[in-house]
Amino acid sequence: FLICVAIRANYPLYIRSVPTQGELKFHYTVHTSLDVVEEKISGVGKALADQRELYLGLLYPTEDYKVYGYVTNSKVKFVIVVDSSNTSLRDNEIRSMFRKLHNSFTDVMCNPFYNPGDPIQSKAFDSIVSTMMVQAC
Amino acid sequence: MSVPDYMQCAEDHQTVLVVVQPMGIVPEDQFFRIYKRISSVSQVSIRDSQRVLFIRYRHHYPPENNEWGDFQTHRKVVGLISVTSCNTAKEWPQTSDRFHGQKEVFGSTLYDSRLLVFGLQGEVAEQQRTDVAFYPSYDDCPDVEKRVEDFVESIFIVLESKRLDRATDKSGDKLQLLCVPFEKKDFVGLDTDSRHYKKRCQGRMRKHVGDLCLQAGMLQDALVHYHMAVELLRSVNDFLWLGAALEGLCSASVIFHYPGGTSGKSGARKPGVSSAADAGKRHRPGALTTNAISADTSTEIGRAKNCLSQEDIIEKYKEAISNYGKYKSAGVIELEACIKAVRVLAIQKRAMEASEFLQNAVYINLGQLSEEEKIQRYSVLSELYELIGFHRKSAFFKRVAAMQCVAPTIPEPGWKACYKLLLETLPGYSLSLDPKDFSKGTHRGWAAVQLRLLHELVYASRRMGNPGLSVRHLSFLLQTMLDFLSDQEKKEVTQSLENYTSKCPGGMEVISLPDGLKLPPVPFTKLPIVRSVSLLNLPASLRPHKVKGLLGQGMSSASPFIYSPITMHSRGDERSKKIDFQWVQGDVCEVQLMVYNPMPFELRVENMGLLTSGVDFESLPAALSLPAESGLYPVTLVGVPRTAGNITINGYHTSVFGVSSDCLLEGLVGVKSSGCMVEVVPSLPRLQLCTSLPRSAHLSSEDLSTSVSLQLFNGETQQLTITLENIGTEMLNTLELTSKTLSTKEKLFGEFLTWDLQDALSHLPLKSGQSVSIPVNISAKLDFSGQENLLHDLNDDGISVTGLPVSSPLRQVLKPRAENKPVGTDASKNEFNHVKTLEAVLTFKYSGGAGEVEGYYRELSLGVRVDVEPSVFFTRVSTLPATSTRQCHLLLDVFNSTEHELTLSAKNNQDLVLHASECQRMAIQVDKFDFDSMPVMDHDALRLATVRQQEEKRQQVQGGLINSTLDIHWTIISFTKGSCPDKTASVEGVLNQLILEHLQLAPLQWDVVVNGEPCDCDMIADCRVGDAVPLEVKLTNRSKSAVGPFSLTVIPFQDYQNGVQNYDLQDAITFIGSNTFYMGTVNPTENSVCVGALLFLYTGDFYLNIKFQDDSTARDLPPAWFCLPSVHIRAQEPIQAAA
Repeated sequence: FLICVAIRANYPLYIRSVPTQGELKFHYTVHTSLDVVEEKISGVGKALADQRELYLGLLYPTEDYKVYGYVTNSKVKFVIVVDSSNTSLRDNEIRSMFRKLHNSFTDVMCNPFYNPGDPIQSKAFDSIVSTMMVQAC
Repeated sequence: MSVPDYMQCAEDHQTVLVVVQPMGIVPEDQFFRIYKRISSVSQVSIRDSQRVLFIRYRHHYPPENNEWGDFQTHRKVVGLISVTSCNTAKEWPQTSDRFHGQKEVFGSTLYDSRLLVFGLQGEVAEQQRTDVAFYPSYDDCPDVEKRVEDFVESIFIVLESKRLDRATDKSGDKLQLLCVPFEKKDFVGLDTDSRHYKKRCQGRMRKHVGDLCLQAGMLQDALVHYHMAVELLRSVNDFLWLGAALEGLCSASVIFHYPGGTSGKSGARKPGVSSAADAGKRHRPGALTTNAISADTSTEIGRAKNCLSQEDIIEKYKEAISNYGKYKSAGVIELEACIKAVRVLAIQKRAMEASEFLQNAVYINLGQLSEEEKIQRYSVLSELYELIGFHRKSAFFKRVAAMQCVAPTIPEPGWKACYKLLLETLPGYSLSLDPKDFSKGTHRGWAAVQLRLLHELVYASRRMGNPGLSVRHLSFLLQTMLDFLSDQEKKEVTQSLENYTSKCPGGMEVISLPDGLKLPPVPFTKLPIVRSVSLLNLPASLRPHKVKGLLGQGMSSASPFIYSPITMHSRGDERSKKIDFQWVQGDVCEVQLMVYNPMPFELRVENMGLLTSGVDFESLPAALSLPAESGLYPVTLVGVPRTAGNITINGYHTSVFGVSSDCLLEGLVGVKSSGCMVEVVPSLPRLQLCTSLPRSAHLSSEDLSTSVSLQLFNGETQQLTITLENIGTEMLNTLELTSKTLSTKEKLFGEFLTWDLQDALSHLPLKSGQSVSIPVNISAKLDFSGQENLLHDLNDDGISVTGLPVSSPLRQVLKPRAENKPVGTDASKNEFNHVKTLEAVLTFKYSGGAGEVEGYYRELSLGVRVDVEPSVFFTRVSTLPATSTRQCHLLLDVFNSTEHELTLSAKNNQDLVLHASECQRMAIQVDKFDFDSMPVMDHDALRLATVRQQEEKRQQVQGGLINSTLDIHWTIISFTKGSCPDKTASVEGVLNQLILEHLQLAPLQWDVVVNGEPCDCDMIADCRVGDAVPLEVKLTNRSKSAVGPFSLTVIPFQDYQNGVQNYDLQDAITFIGSNTFYMGTVNPTENSVCVGALLFLYTGDFYLNIKFQDDSTARDLPPAWFCLPSVHIRAQEPIQAAA
């Protein structure tokens, strides 16, 4: 299970994963999934009606994981990777997780001491992510 | 069929496959040259028809794949061109046999073949065989292309005949069942008469004919056949062939829609050869052509019906692939179909769907693949992802391919290939190999992944046997990824870097790879991190100064206005700003860097030096070791400019972990710099200064090069010898010495520092290594007066102020003062013991060498600090008029504040011994001073602005005069053994206006002459009783204004010496004439005399008191001015007098 936030320039602001041993693999997964996200965004641009929907849904399934994506209007990307075997998480849950994540991210951005583009080190954000991870696993 | 062709694209369906092979020993490069020439004939228009035949050449084709030729005819090898060398005619038969053997391999499918023989000429060439061509050499074969075209045409004839043969099959004939290799055994024993079987045969044949039509350039027919085939095969559930028919349909549609081709190779397909039919093909259904209506509208309509729309193509591809997917053995076909579909989608710019196809392709299991095939597969996947714009996916697969190159199962890992592939992945991970891209802003890209990739690059380059490359990559990793490395990783990375550099030191040169990629150098700007760069001025004693006024220095500003409110801001080039001090050629100059070490261990930086431009600069490298995680740490880099001019500090070079790097300041982020350009002036001599006195640690100001300090008693003088040595290389030509006393609140009397430079100047010019010494006298003369309150008014005695002519006897009557009272209390003693400090700076200005020509000089300054201990004090001063009006007594109460017994002497006075803390009165008789006759007012004094200053100046001069006259000295008895000279004491400080007035001669000088003798004080004038005694009173006016008129009255009296004075002397003395004189106005510098006479009738001692009457009531002249001498006359008997 992994949560990641990447901004427009496609480098990570925040990555958190459990378990930690296979982290590099997660990194590769998320990194390559950004291609799909980008493609979806450019597709959305054409269909104006769709613009409200920030949730991108399942980006692509791999053998072991499902990768979900979410893009804010300012093109900040959120990616959640979950185990394929985890059936308790349905689309709706994932969607609400993303929304929570987005709200928390907005709070981080509102912090006047946060330097846009720096990795996120907020404790509040950390704890939100932690609770989500506990729920999911 | 096991070998997929990853380069396949949809158009390949309309090509015929020709294999070009070398036979026997053919040099590879020659073969490929011929191959290239052959393959340039990729499409041939057939003469009679308006059709075009496309040819696909392969120099290698596995025979297994040929077996699938019935399934899709473009897989079938229909032509063979062999290339061989044959040097002698004898070899010819053998060659010919081998050619036949080669033909056998693809024998079942070949339509035609050719043999190109090189190196053979003459006799054999005469046997005319159509399938053999002879050329003398590889270079001399002009008609190869022509021959290939002929060959293609012959293939076309066969193809066309086959097509017609199959297309016009009578339905009554029993159709042969076409099948793929793996199906063959399934159909054994199947009922060949069933309707189902027949339909299957028909469907497959249709599809086959469709393929042939497509190859023969009849797109329209092909579409029709494919449609029919699809329907037939669908009804009999022959999925594999249904898929093939669908794919054929798709291919034909793609060819129709995209005449430019889908493979992305631009040169591959030339749509221009063509004819009207070809042009018509490109028209979209319903589109208007240039000639309004297409020649054959029926075909146009039919095509529109048969041809698939762009969306349908994808749908059909999907269906085809899902049909293929039902057969394990058709994996290759499925894979190739996927690839073809992806290429089509890439052209349609439908990346998402393309990625789905690719995703599917990834999962197609082709069974056991060889490592090489795996690599090829991943590379192709990567290329395809690149094609649809998925750069990250592409990079991912490229990396997988790279890793596959060096998989542990491979006996001979291809590190070079791995390295090359890894390099290609870099853009996908937003990595470049230029550290400049990472110096600005936040880090770009996925750090953890990048880190991994860089590690792999390092490892691959090391295994390639190119340690230089791995050093470069590793330094790049360290430089750009430093923020992302954990402490442990930092340690590991640096350790391995050190290992590598021990074999191959890293440098600053650009490494060029064989394929043209250039690896820019990686300067370690983060090891250590430099926070600020500041150029240091030379130490004060070595700074060059410009001689002022040599050139109009103020004119240097560019503006023509003297003052302008607009200041020229040049914010941008703060770095290039010139600094307003100078360095000197040949002298060591310093630049201070504030650095810190971001590593968790001690960082050893070696060979750290400056990079400069503009001037020859000898950098003196330094080695330093920074403690772990150090804070800001100042490092001073030094160097010597060897020529004069403007020097710019561009950066610094370091050597860390064996990697030497040149770090330019302009590339550094967050470096504070106050400017990097400095003027270097020509060389100047250097002086070293040493003194006879010990040098003191205390430096009152940083400008001083050295300083001495000493202790003196007030009034003491000491000599200081200063030795100057020329330690530079230049000759010393000029030397000047000035001194400046630092302002103190203490009033200083006399010159503090005096010297004689003449001797030293005679030694000039001073060569290098020579020295010269200058004696300097230090005399401390401070105020000798006690505290102000001790000098309370002198009027309390009531003696001196009155100006009354007090005769000497009166002095004894003075009430005794408590002068011997010991000043006992500690408090008052402390007041005297207060040590005062005097400070002065001696400045030597010197110059010489080339710098002097340019108008520069240097200053060397010596601080002199003297702690002045109090010696004697004049606690009270007063005057007493002496008996003579021209003299007076100066009374000084002298207090010895030292711990020692001392003697005090003044001019013509005996020594006075003073014990410690003792106070005694000392009386000195002095002549009154005639200040007016002093050589006052030199030019300086005249220029003094205010009256007040003039007044002060005058007082100072007067004080000096008095002092030199008094010449008071004191010595400490216990010290006299030494060479201590007499210490002087000065009374200047104690004198106030009142005393000065007393010490001054009155401006009105009265001279009384009795009997022709001048009469003064104790002088007794003798005269005889009965004789007339002439009395003359002369007034000389020395004041600045006219005085008078006065009237003088002479009153004689007798003093009985007991306090009784008898004025009743009418009987004893008679005046001849009046006893009152009138004296008119006396102008300045004039005099006036009045004369009278006295007649003494009796003998005795008489005194004359001359009284004034001042007419000018307006002016109050001080009574002291009218201090006439008292006249003492002794009248005697004439005999007595004679005796």
